[in-house]
Amino acid sequence: MIHQGEILAPLLDVRNLRTEFATDTGTVRAVDDASFSIMPGERIAVVGESGSGKSAMAMSILRLLVYPGRVVSGDVLLEGRNIAQLSERQLNQLRGRSVGTVFQDPMSSLDPVMRISKQMTAPIMRNLGMSYKQAYAEAVEWLRKVGIPDPERRITAFPFEMSGGMRQRVMIAMALSCRPKLLIADEPTTALDVTIQAQIVEILKTLTSEANTAMMFITHDLGLVARLADKVAVMYAGRIVEFATVGEIFSAPRHPYTQSLLRTIPSPTALNTSRLPQIPGLPPDMKKTLRGCAFRERCRAATEICAREAPELSHRGANHVAACWQPEGLGSSAIDAEPERALRRNDGPFRDRVIVEINNLNKHFTSSSFLSRASRNVIRAVNGVNLRVRQGETLGIVGESGCGKSTLARLLLGLERPCSGEIFTEGLTQMVFQDPASSFNPKMRIRNIIEEPLLVKGKGDWRTRQTRVEDLVKLVGLDPAHLDRFPGQLSGGQLQRIAVARALALEPSVVVADEPTSALDVSVRAQIINLLADLKQELGVAFVFISHDLLTVQYISDRIAVMYLGEVVEYGPADLVFNSPAHPYTKALIDAVPIPDPARESRRASAVLRGELPSPLNEISGCTFATRCPLATEQCRTEKPKLRQHRKSREAACHYAK
Amino acid sequence: MSNSFITQPARVHAIWMSRRRVLDKLRQNRFLMNSKTIGAFLILVPIALLVTLAPLLPLQAPLETNLMAMMLPPSLEHPFGTDRMGRDIFSRSLEGVKVSLQVGLSVAALALVMGMLLGTLAGFFGGIIDRAVMVIVDIFMAFPSLLLAIGLIAIMGTGLVPVVMAIAIADIPRFIRLQRSLVLGLRTRAYIDAARTVQASQFWLMTRHIVPNSLAPMLVAASISAANAILVEASLSFLGLGIMPPAPSLGNLIREGQLYMEQAWWISTLPGVVILLIAISFHFLSDGIRQALDPRSRK
Repeated sequence: MIHQGEILAPLLDVRNLRTEFATDTGTVRAVDDASFSIMPGERIAVVGESGSGKSAMAMSILRLLVYPGRVVSGDVLLEGRNIAQLSERQLNQLRGRSVGTVFQDPMSSLDPVMRISKQMTAPIMRNLGMSYKQAYAEAVEWLRKVGIPDPERRITAFPFEMSGGMRQRVMIAMALSCRPKLLIADEPTTALDVTIQAQIVEILKTLTSEANTAMMFITHDLGLVARLADKVAVMYAGRIVEFATVGEIFSAPRHPYTQSLLRTIPSPTALNTSRLPQIPGLPPDMKKTLRGCAFRERCRAATEICAREAPELSHRGANHVAACWQPEGLGSSAIDAEPERALRRNDGPFRDRVIVEINNLNKHFTSSSFLSRASRNVIRAVNGVNLRVRQGETLGIVGESGCGKSTLARLLLGLERPCSGEIFTEGLTQMVFQDPASSFNPKMRIRNIIEEPLLVKGKGDWRTRQTRVEDLVKLVGLDPAHLDRFPGQLSGGQLQRIAVARALALEPSVVVADEPTSALDVSVRAQIINLLADLKQELGVAFVFISHDLLTVQYISDRIAVMYLGEVVEYGPADLVFNSPAHPYTKALIDAVPIPDPARESRRASAVLRGELPSPLNEISGCTFATRCPLATEQCRTEKPKLRQHRKSREAACHYAK
Repeated sequence: MSNSFITQPARVHAIWMSRRRVLDKLRQNRFLMNSKTIGAFLILVPIALLVTLAPLLPLQAPLETNLMAMMLPPSLEHPFGTDRMGRDIFSRSLEGVKVSLQVGLSVAALALVMGMLLGTLAGFFGGIIDRAVMVIVDIFMAFPSLLLAIGLIAIMGTGLVPVVMAIAIADIPRFIRLQRSLVLGLRTRAYIDAARTVQASQFWLMTRHIVPNSLAPMLVAASISAANAILVEASLSFLGLGIMPPAPSLGNLIREGQLYMEQAWWISTLPGVVILLIAISFHFLSDGIRQALDPRSRK
């Protein structure tokens, strides 16, 4: 932030912005009366759940909204110019020269049939008036700055030859190469793995402060906010409900929504003996005209004035505004009054009954084409894995995408056949899938979806099945009235509950949950995590919880297995693995996780794991992690470390494990 | 007594409300309340009615000749005029429409069933079954469909059944392809995996999950195929390979009339217009189905 004694004009000034989407079932008020400003060089985070209007706001600022969305009223002033009054041509100049953009999905934001060189040089030539040669050199330089190895060669690549992380680097290089004064980034790291995310965040941070570029970035990850932002705007139901410096948002939040949101995230330091505090209910339907405060139905501090009138943003400090009738939001009393239920963990002496035993499991995929049968590519998705799951415990499996954790899940369920090795299971194994939208046959009613496993197995007659279905729905905390709906009529969180109900229908001994919360919003995520924790206790079901979200895995698991390139590199009790990792990869993974605490984030060393996951096609003779490991020696490159006991109850595959 | 006094209007009200609910349901039905579907029905329903009621109408029988009334222009008595043997072209056209609808619907049904069956098997099982089916499909698709139909008619002879078979055989490969591609997209869905984890049989997966979810695009294809079959039948009959005279079909009506185009334009032109209307209405129908089933085309 810059305060040099003079009064600076804001770079971007948004006043009373209102954006609507017309749909055939009603008008959605996506952005409702949003006002804020960004000073030169300032980094502003816009936080909110899906549907809170954060992307619509960014699109409105760029005037990139497409039909049926439109800006209804309000002004957007960029460097004092009202963008609503610019011609399309002036606007195009503005978008390149004054504002750079980075979008969420690196896979679709680059033209797939154009080389990187061409995509990068065109805007540089147009906006900075350089010749092709100069622009080419400039592009190479930018690729070097965003950390692309060997940029002279990589610039001639096509997008498909690059990984997601590399493409996002290219997007950032493109956005910054025209030296914009403002960078708008819409969920720039959501599609990436934690270690890559940490690298990208580091790049964004250094490059924007070098050139004094202001940044507005949209995210739902509060950890990222703590790491990157100067100021934070919290959005709920299309409105900015709180706007303050990052320190104040985390240390003294004033809006009940911000307060609740911060508490739903598992903390890396807490002992996790209680359930996650959750925000009850769902965000409001944006098609209805809201009377009063939009958050009141989920707010424990709501009074009758909240139902009558919507609160305006009012000052809570010099740099702090919040829209709530209560000066303190929930206040300390309301937080303490929350009913807390102890979360009994399977800690201490684990129950000893092993119900799943995996011995030296291998799954290799061979891709051979018709023409080149000789040169086979072998992908070692799962490579010599040994694991055990005990009755009633939760085993968390973490790792970056491509580490083989999902293949392991499919092997466990019998959806894939192992190439070698054995899996012994006692009782049934069932699954909860990642994407609630595709886990259900859209043509079937919820009732028939939950009934299906019973029907396939021929369990009971029609009447007993119906009562079982109703019991299951109540067990996962849903109203049986939902049974006659179709999957398309339920929200993501409700669908994930249905998925759990279906998985439990046949009383399995193990439920495999593959990223069950990654498609859900933060406030709903805690509800599902709590549900799984409760079910573990009530039913004694064991869970295999697969995720890349380390905080959640650490919270819910009794034991954690860390996977890297198809191998388990560390395995042991959750708290031990998380708080004193033995394997350097585990340590790097934990270091990369952004923690929702700006004080901790600023103290943290920026030593991020370099490089990316090597191609699983290459045969690696030594330690698979040696290419990225800070401790790697000659021994690591030639000799493969075995998973062996470290300390008491933990195993790690590293020559130098402490 | 007082009870019935109260319940009577309440019951009437309830019935009235339920009727209104039915009307509301109809109004919300995206298939029926679609301009394309309405257009299709506005053409198809009257035509179908005329065809079924033709024997009851005061019309000359389609094969009856009247040498006193040759090549008469359209009039009230002969709405489409008469041909060189004094046969009523309107009545013959209706008979032709009957043939057209029979051909269109049977071809569509045949192609749909065969395409669903073989496409599902090929896409779902893959491997050797897939390869075997697809090689045959590729061979059939290498022939121009009209030539294929002509060749098959040369083998099987003329008449309604051979015509239907010939056109259907040319259409089935396309349906197999479409269904196979749909199945390939569906079979990796998580709900299929979910059913697999409870050891649902292959038959269960195909009938409960794959077929219901691929039916919608296949119905769109079937209605286009019906329109196409009607045109191909007309072409075959025009070439003298389909329905043989004196039995009327829209195609051979046009063929008979083309010699007298200068003296009696109506003999060819009016049956041609009828073909056009039927083909268009089937295309409308396919658009209607597509719009009703595709959530992205919501207005």
